[in-house]
This record gives sequence, C-alpha cells and structure tokens, in this order.
Amino acid sequence: MAVLKLHNITYQYPLTETPVLKNINLEVQEGEFLAVIGPNGAGKSTLCYTISGFVPHFYKGELNGTVEIAGVETHESSLSQWVVNAGLVFQNPFNQISGAKYTVYEEIAFGLENTGVPREEMRERVDRAMALTGITDLSERSPYSLSGGQQQRVALTSILVMEPKILVLDEPTSQMDPIGSREVLKVIKTLSERGMTVVMVEHKMEWIASFADRVIALYEGEILLEGTPEEVLTSPELAIRGFGISRYTQVARQAGPLGLWPPDQRLPITLDEAVDGFSRSQP
Amino acid sequence: MKIEVSNLFFSYPGGVDALQGISLSILKGEKVAVIGQNGAGKTTLVKHFNGLLLPTQGSVRVGDLDTTKTTVAKLAARVGYVFQNPDDQLFCKNVEDEVSYGPRNLGYPAEQVAALVDDALSLTELADKNETNPYDLSATWRKMVALASVISMDTPVIIFDEPTTGQDAVNVARIANVIRELHARGKTVITITHDIDFCAENFERIIALSQGKVLLDGHAREVLGQEEILATTYVDPPQLTRLGKRLGLPVVVRNPDEFLEAYQKLPTNLGDPGE
Amino acid sequence: MRERLSFYIPRQSPVHRLNPLTKILITFTIIIMAFFSPWYWTAPLLIVFVIFPMSVIAKVGREFLFAAARLLPVVGFIFVMQALFLPGGRTILWQFGFLKVTLENLMAAFLVAMRIFTMVSSFILFLLTTHPSELMSDLTRRKLPSTFSYVIISTLQIIPQMQAKANTIISAQRSRGMDTQGSFTKRIGALFPLVGPLVFGSLVEVEERAIAIEARGFSSTLPKTSLHEIPDTRLDRSIRWLMLILILGTFASKLWLS
Repeated sequence: MAVLKLHNITYQYPLTETPVLKNINLEVQEGEFLAVIGPNGAGKSTLCYTISGFVPHFYKGELNGTVEIAGVETHESSLSQWVVNAGLVFQNPFNQISGAKYTVYEEIAFGLENTGVPREEMRERVDRAMALTGITDLSERSPYSLSGGQQQRVALTSILVMEPKILVLDEPTSQMDPIGSREVLKVIKTLSERGMTVVMVEHKMEWIASFADRVIALYEGEILLEGTPEEVLTSPELAIRGFGISRYTQVARQAGPLGLWPPDQRLPITLDEAVDGFSRSQP
Repeated sequence: MKIEVSNLFFSYPGGVDALQGISLSILKGEKVAVIGQNGAGKTTLVKHFNGLLLPTQGSVRVGDLDTTKTTVAKLAARVGYVFQNPDDQLFCKNVEDEVSYGPRNLGYPAEQVAALVDDALSLTELADKNETNPYDLSATWRKMVALASVISMDTPVIIFDEPTTGQDAVNVARIANVIRELHARGKTVITITHDIDFCAENFERIIALSQGKVLLDGHAREVLGQEEILATTYVDPPQLTRLGKRLGLPVVVRNPDEFLEAYQKLPTNLGDPGE
Repeated sequence: MRERLSFYIPRQSPVHRLNPLTKILITFTIIIMAFFSPWYWTAPLLIVFVIFPMSVIAKVGREFLFAAARLLPVVGFIFVMQALFLPGGRTILWQFGFLKVTLENLMAAFLVAMRIFTMVSSFILFLLTTHPSELMSDLTRRKLPSTFSYVIISTLQIIPQMQAKANTIISAQRSRGMDTQGSFTKRIGALFPLVGPLVFGSLVEVEERAIAIEARGFSSTLPKTSLHEIPDTRLDRSIRWLMLILILGTFASKLWLS
C-alpha cells in the first residue's frame, strides 16, 4: 500500500524566480526505504520539507500539486497535525535540541507534552523509543553534553516517539565524524528492518546500496532517475552531472575500456562487488 | 615558511590534556593532512600554528617567529586559517568586502588588496557573485566565500579545518582544485579532515593523531597502508586502498589511476588486451 | 566535571517544594516592598531577616552567599557613584575639589544600593531554588502562551552556547588579522565582525530550531500535558494570598503617608 504519494508537485520559495521542485511524481510503499541523491541545490531538502509538511505550512511560497500520506493531503491538515504523519530529522544535530529541556528524557517527551499525551502513556512511549534507538543510558544527561552522534540519535528518538508513519531524514550523517555516522546509521537500519517507511537523503553510495529498496536521483528539481540502487547508482548519467559516485563504480568504469573489468558484469557499488569483479577479470 | 613543533604539550583550562608531547616539522610547500578521531587533538594542534593556542610546554615556531612571542594578528600574515563553519566569520554586506577584510587587516595597499581579492574570487569561482550578500548565497557558496576570504590574505601557509564536511561532490572537487592551485603556487597546505578518500587523493603527507600524540606521520602511501594502527584512532582506509588490499596489490593505492596502474601490473594481468 | 545546567541547585527543602508560581510571587513581593515601602530601612531588613534566612532554610545558604558576594562590587560601585554625583544635599561631610559627599546623598545612595541588592539577591534565591523547566511547565499549565515560556527557557540554555559561538567567531576573525588592540574607535569598529556573524549565524540556527520544535508539535492547539507533576498545595495558596496582602499593604501605606 502506498503510504506516501506526491502528485505533480511544483514548488517555489517566496520571493524567488525559479521553482525548486518541478513536477515531481512519487509513490512510496509502506515499509519501503527510499534513498534520494543529488547535488546541492537539486531540491532534496525541499523535497523533505514537502513530504513533512513544512512546505507549504512553514515556508509558504507557491505549492502546486498534492502530497498525500495514508490518504490525507497536507493541505487538509495543520502543520502540527502533519508532523505526526511524517517525522523530519535533518543534518545539524545541535539545532535539533529544543533548548527547553534539561535532560534527554525530558527532551524526548517534549513532543508528547506538546501534543497532549497523558503522563502514563508518555513514559511508556519514551521508554520504548529510547530502548529502540539504544540511548536509554543517556537518559539523565543534558542534551548539550552529548557528542554529535548521540545528539542525532536523541533527535531521531524525539521524532520516533511521535509515532510517525514515515521517517524523513535529510542527510542525517553529513555533519558527523565516522563514529557518529556509524551509530546513527545503525539505528536507521534497525528501524527500517522493523518495518518503518524511510525516505533518506544521503551521499554515501555504499550505504545506500545496502539499505535502500529504491533510489531516486534528483537534478535541478526533477527526478532524473528512479529505480533500484544497482540501476541508479551505476548509471553513467550521474557522473556527467556532478553527482558523487562510489569510487568503486568510478574505477570499474575506467577499467572497462582497458579490458580490466568483465564486460558482462554490472558496475560495482560496494567493496565486495568490486573485489568480486576485479578478481574475476584475472585469468 | 617552516613550522617547527618541539615537544608540544597543551592542556585546556578545565584540565584536559589535549596534546602530550608532539614534535614535528612542516616544510615549505608540503601538503599535509591531519587525521584521527574526535578528541585526538587535531584542531588543538593546528590552532597552535597561528597562535590561537599557546603551548603549556614546549614551543611552536612559524618561520623565525616564536608563537608565544607574537600576536595572532602578526601570525595571520603567515598562517591563514579557514574555519569549518563559514557562518562563524561572514559579516560583510557583499562578497567583495568580505574577501577584502583579511588583506586589509594585514595592511596591504589598496591596489594590492584589489588584486588579491580578484585572484581569490576567480580561484573560488565567485567572480560573478562579488556583489551578492554572502547570506543570500547557498551553504555551498558561503563555504567558497570563507575560503576566498583567507586565500586573499596570500599567506605562505594555509590551514583548512574540515573543508569537505557537508559538501556535495561538485564542491569537493572545487575545493580540491583550490588546494591543488595553492600548492602549485608553493604554499604549504594543512588540512584536518574526516574524509579519508579526499585526504588520500589530495595530500602527500598524513599525520594521524591519537590521544594527543602522533600515531603515524609519513607519506600518504605508508600511512594509509597501516590499517590496524589507523583503526585505533577510528580511521578506515580509503575505498580504493581497501580494494587494492583485498586484491593483493603490492602497493598502497590512493586514487583510480594508481589503482589501475597497480592492478595492470599484477603478474596475472600482464598481457591483457588494452593500453 | 559537574554539569551546571542552570542556577538551580536540587535540594530537599520546604522552599524547593513550593510551587514555582508561589516563588515568583514571593520574589516580586520582596522587590515591591523594597522599592515602594515608605520606611527607609525596609530593603536591608528584608535582606537580613527574610532573604538570607530563606536561603538557609532552602539549604543553599553557601551558594547564595557566593553569588551575593559577586554582587557586592557592582552594588558598591553604584553606591559610590550615587553618593558622589547626586545633585543637591546640604550637610557636607567631605569635600575634594568639586566632589562632595553630603549626608543626604549618602543616605539616598545607600537606599538605592540596598534596593538593587535586594532585587537581585531575591532573584538569585529564586533561581537557586526553582527548576526552569518546572517553572515553565507550571506557567504553561496556567495558560501562559507556550511560546513565551519557550523563549525564556531556551534563552537560558542558549546563553552558554552563544558564548561558545562568540569565542569561535572571535578566533576566526583574529585569524583574519582583526586588530584587538588600538584606539577606542578602532575597537568599536572591531565589534561588527564579531556581532555580525553572531547575529546572522544565529538566525540560521533559529530557523532550523523552529523547524525542529515544530516537528515535535510545538504549535499544536491541543492542551499541553507535562511529564512531571508540579504540586500546588494549600500552603502555596495561603502564601500567595499573604503576598498579595503585603503588596497591597505596601502600596496603601505609601499612598497614606504621602
């Protein structure tokens, strides 16, 4: 069942001359993991805002087309009703700390306090969400005392506790160090495996190849390519438009004309695929 | 302009011993990357090069100047520092003014400032945006403004603090170009980075720090081959280096060309059709 | 390293257990009495017989003294300035050139200094004994707009972060050769490269934070609930009535005597 439907979405920020998203049509099934790739300025963040309702409710501007989550259109609900449907986590973990709470536990409960959840239920949900993301031991810490990776996991948990139908992640690891990235991706992987519908903007191709069910490549506000990770991430259309591609793909593509990559083998995205292909081309 | 670090110890006021006895030299014209996990001391070390931090023990010399006897303003003429977040330094109403701020502070005459600014703007592809307010630019271009603002100071040494974090492939390539050009002009380029692929492809010398000490210091090829040691400071080798290792290549490779060259030379590959 | 998140010091004491609104009211009552009471010695007596004993009852006596001690230089400065530069006064006690100290001015200066000291020290006591989150939850529960309480409480936490940001900005601009010495006008000019990024950079952060709290239902119109229960007892209500009476009494006595 399609839990997310974008139909003919075109959007322009206020006081700008060109639309950032042009005629986007997209469907995401329940439980699917959709990765979104694209250069800066392609419209990826705007797409995330559109799915989560910030376009048009927060950013105003001209939105044409419809966004539907589980049958309800964004135009029909207010922003605070919408956030229950699509939870947004973005790049900067520090800016996602509300500043209104002194401990991680309270921080996570913040969203439930705002939406009038009764106290008993609040505690249950917070405990459950923290266990799911593995941050129970951070309960009494100040959010400001945490590392980037920990803060991002707190942000994720704070959104998860609201029980959204879709999790929208806008480059959640781009400002993290390697350890932080690993921590955050591990949590995202767990959530996806448990059936959460995820839309994630990401640069790192290797990860996309291992987590994503489908990938869309956004370019200048339009969907350039759509398909499985293997189809999209190895497409020659990406390199010529300045998308960052996996170095394994890059080197195999260079190796092809030199006869160093088996001609019948798909270009690799991950290390294992590259090892496989390059080992094979040795007689 | 040689940077000489002698037995450097540094502790933060709270008592954290950030650097525990570092000695090294960076010679004129080197391209050096400093890597290691968060908290290893990378930023702490590099902030000694322009006098933002002063040694608790030991010394740091930039050329003939001892950093404890010179002001940051004076060292700024020798060592430029590009901070990680451009929003921590942008304040002028247009890009041109912003990029002029540094060289003007250094007291250069107006014509020289203008020339330096033009050069910095063209190097960072900002020439057509010189009248734009930096805050009207996207994050990508604000990053380039920050770079240009330090390049225009024409310092013999230039430090980049995590230049590629959050940047897309196009901008990473731009930044790599800038570094290449600066190096070609004989400048010493020092960078702190988590992006090990960027590091491998653009820097000849790598210093790996761990817990305030130098773990590894040498040519990129030597350092990147030490997978187990790098793992102790949470650094994974670059993608192609890993691939090369798995395929049993005899040398450490850092980029596609090196990989293909080494791969072609594998005994079982000699005689293959192709170039 | 002790994480000191706010002025608040958790202790088990009768003062801590009071409802936050009660404590605000007590603080305001003390201030109003200090500033509007017609009797000259109100302020110092409040300090000695009300504020300080309360800090002891609240088991934060030592912390209070430390904080109050830091106030003394400022209050002392105000006292001296007022004593030397207030116009008028007849009974000259000391004179040096055009500087003179009269008995009347001394007494006026003492009054001003004591009033200010009372005001700040009662706030300090309040902050020491009240957890900001609880205060805000309580006020929100009593229908104060949540935006208002959010602004106050997030500002409290943001201040140390802003300080850290300001330090980074200073380092960045110094690295560009910013002159930290030099003439007064030069140094004023040097403020802009510091304030600029602080303000503009903060605007970017503020927008992102607004999105983050919206994403957690901040602008929901449903009645808000709270994680912690904040008690409001009969004692609280009685104290609040008493404070109201004291406030009215103060104004009444001022009107009656003037």
